[in-house]
Amino acid sequence: MSEQQGKQLSKEEKDARFEAELLPVLDPLYNFAYRLTLDEDDANDLVQETYLKAYRFFDYFEQGTNAKAWLFRILKNSFINEFRKKSKQPAKVDYSEVEGYYNTDDVEGEGGVATTTDMRTESVQDLIGDEVASALNALPIDFRTVIILCDLEGFTYEEMAKILDIPIGTVRSRLHRARNSLKEKLEKYAKSMGYNS
Amino acid sequence: MEPKFTEAYQEAPEEAQTANCERTAHMLDMIIDGEATPEDQQFFNSHIEECVSCFESHQKQKLLKGLISGHLQRVIVPESLAHSIKVKIQETV
Repeated sequence: MSEQQGKQLSKEEKDARFEAELLPVLDPLYNFAYRLTLDEDDANDLVQETYLKAYRFFDYFEQGTNAKAWLFRILKNSFINEFRKKSKQPAKVDYSEVEGYYNTDDVEGEGGVATTTDMRTESVQDLIGDEVASALNALPIDFRTVIILCDLEGFTYEEMAKILDIPIGTVRSRLHRARNSLKEKLEKYAKSMGYNS
Repeated sequence: MEPKFTEAYQEAPEEAQTANCERTAHMLDMIIDGEATPEDQQFFNSHIEECVSCFESHQKQKLLKGLISGHLQRVIVPESLAHSIKVKIQETV
C-alpha cells in the first residue's frame, strides 16, 4: 500500500485529482470502447461505467502512475463482464467493391463534382481507413484488442500484459497471430498497395 | 589428408542462413514495436542487409502496423460525455 493510500483524501481533493489525472484519458478510452463494442451508445455506457468504477477505487490509484493503463484495464474487465454478450457481429468487407473503386478513373466527389487530385487523395485515405477498420472489426475480440492497444494506442508489451492480465509471452504470440489474421483479411487491398504476401 | 571429424560436420552455410532467417522472423514483431534488445536489433539489422526475403518481410510488417496507426480514424468523443461522467459520479457515490 502506498503512502497516499494510507491517508484519506477530502472529497474536494479526490474530485480535483480524479479530474486532473483521469479525465485526460477520456479520448483514447472512448476510442478503445468504441473499437470493442462497435457501437457509440455502448461505448458511451462502457466509458461511464469505467469512470464510475475508477472513482470508487480511486484511493487505490497511486498518483503519477500510469493512469491510462489503469483505466484501460478497468474498461477491458467491464467489457468482458458486462458488454461482451451484447457485442454485435461485425460487417464483412466487400473486397470486390474496393477493388472496383481503385480501378476506376472517374471517381466523383460528394455532390457529384469531379474530384481534384487532393480530393481524390482524401477519398482514398478515407477508403483505406474504412477498409482497415472493417478488417480489424472482423477479427476475434482478443486479436482486435491487442492490435488496438499496440498499434493504435502505443502501449508497451509490459503495459498490455497488465491491462489484459496475461503473461508477456502470451501478448507477443497473440499479437503475432492477430497480425497474421489481419494480413489475410487485408490481402487483396494490400496487393493493390504492392504488398504481395 | 582426411578432414577432422568436426570439419566434416560443420553447419552448412545454407542451414546457418535458414537459422538466421528463423531467428529474424521470430523477432520481427518486437523489432517493429520497439521491444527488441539492442543485441537483437543489431543482429536483425545485419541480417536484413544481406537477406532480401527478411528485408521484405520487415517492410510488409511495418506497412501493416502503419495501416493501423496511420489510417484508422479516431472516433470523436461526444461533447456531453465528460459532463455525464461527472454528474453520474456525484449522483451515485
